[in-house]
Amino acid sequence: MIKLTNISKSFGKHEVLHQINLTVEKGEVVVILGPSGSGKTTLLRCINYLEKPNEGQIEIGDFNLDYKQANKKDIHNLRQRSAMVFQHYNLFKHKTVLENVMEGLVVVQKFSTDEAKRKSIEMLEKVGLGTKLDAYPSQLSGGQQQRVGIARALALNPEVILFDEPTSALDPELVGEVLDVIRKIAKEGITMIVVTHEMGFARDVSNHVVFMDEGVIVEEGRPQDIFGAPKEERTKQFLKRITSEWAYSI
Amino acid sequence: MGGQFDIHYVFDFLPKLLSYLHITLLIVAGSILLGLIIGFIVALPRLYNVPILKRVSQVYVSFFRGTPILIQLFLIYYGLPELLKLIHVDTSRTNVLIFVIVTYALHSGAFISEAIRAAVNAVDRGQIEAAYSVGMSGYQALTRIILPQALSISVPILSNLVIANLKDSSLAFTLGAMEMTGKSQTLGSATRHFVETYIALSLIYFVISTVLERIFFYLEARLLRHERQIIEKERSSKRWIGWRKREIARLEKGVDPH
Ligand SMILES: Nc1ncnc2c1ncn2[C@@H]1O[C@H](COP(=O)(O)OP(=O)(O)OP(=O)(O)O)[C@@H](O)[C@H]1O
Ligand SMILES: [Mg+2]
Repeated sequence: MIKLTNISKSFGKHEVLHQINLTVEKGEVVVILGPSGSGKTTLLRCINYLEKPNEGQIEIGDFNLDYKQANKKDIHNLRQRSAMVFQHYNLFKHKTVLENVMEGLVVVQKFSTDEAKRKSIEMLEKVGLGTKLDAYPSQLSGGQQQRVGIARALALNPEVILFDEPTSALDPELVGEVLDVIRKIAKEGITMIVVTHEMGFARDVSNHVVFMDEGVIVEEGRPQDIFGAPKEERTKQFLKRITSEWAYSI
Repeated sequence: MGGQFDIHYVFDFLPKLLSYLHITLLIVAGSILLGLIIGFIVALPRLYNVPILKRVSQVYVSFFRGTPILIQLFLIYYGLPELLKLIHVDTSRTNVLIFVIVTYALHSGAFISEAIRAAVNAVDRGQIEAAYSVGMSGYQALTRIILPQALSISVPILSNLVIANLKDSSLAFTLGAMEMTGKSQTLGSATRHFVETYIALSLIYFVISTVLERIFFYLEARLLRHERQIIEKERSSKRWIGWRKREIARLEKGVDPH
């Protein structure tokens, strides 16, 4: 289980997250929706400690941390329990596909090279890249790069994988292959928090939808409730706008 | 000045000058190695934004980039001993080459620190975040992700610097250092055939810079093999080698009496 309590974050005077509380059950697939600038990315980054909240606590499994008092060891522990899949993949450009996935296992988790290799190949096969082990990121399509990013996160065996708009930098024809991989690992019962604008995907893989606006969680619940019968006015307007945009793009 | 131009002097001077090549190369290698250490240390306060040290390194860099190397050479050679005298270090017996190497090292250090700074900043922020995200420490991210990429980015700058140092090392003769250019002066005065010494000298510098350039080019291609464009370049050079082999085979067939 993951539990966020009273997380607030400001950049200078601008408060981007205001006392966020969120509980995610083990194995849940949470989708976070919300307009641009509502703080979705910032929230994910706080969970991975890429951003330090001004206050708040986080609990992941048996580990908990108060952001105000976190020391180096706590930060390391938190990062070990969460893994991030970035919008722009952020692969290590000078390393091959296999080395990208092995890097964290060898350097951080102290796997032997053989073990790390075996595990990395297994993960890369899972995302359908078993034949690209020796390619460099620059030789792959965006969709393939993002699948490497997913394999890299999976290999670390985290309690939760955080996806920040994993398909929004992709050409439309490559979105499907990445979503299929995410669907597949969602079925394996890995806890995931996904920020996305893919409504179809959000509807059919998530079992918990969170709608954010201006740094607060406006509404959350089961997908059928949020999509079928949103209670809050802001949620309704957002969904209306995004589904009509979606209709246009067809 | 000098006697009638005679090409034979050029061939005569070449081996004599080459016997001082190791001194020239020592100046270049010594100053680049020392310069790498200096450059790295000087780049750190600016990369990590350390308040006062940052200013100090900025002043150092702009001084050594903004003044002629000849003046730096004189300043270090005549000025440094005076400074050292104040702390009772006697340098009157120190080899002039030490001063030359120190000057060129300080000079190169300024350029290298700029190159490192630019190259590190060129490694995209996202990869550094990914490194932290998988759990690496700042040191691990620096040594495993940032520096290897920064190194390959800075190879062309390093290459220019090495070649510039090779050429600038000729100024050491003004302090009486016996490297190739210094030797050419004595050869010239002794034979009164200055033009021939300069021709021989420029031939040597030219060949060495060209070889160095090639080596760095190859190094760059190797270090940047993860970039698609370079890989294509490599492939096309392989194609060229393939073509040359076929061509040679064809020519050999051509002269074949059968
Ligand atoms: N490093 C930063 N410094 C200052 N302001 C920031 C920083 N990062 C984010 N912000 C601001 O915080 C707010 C929330 O940003 P965030 O990226 O979390 O939004 P988002 O919901 O992910 O938006 P989008 O859908 O456009 O990705 C924005 O107003 C943004 O400008
Ligand atoms: Mg975002």
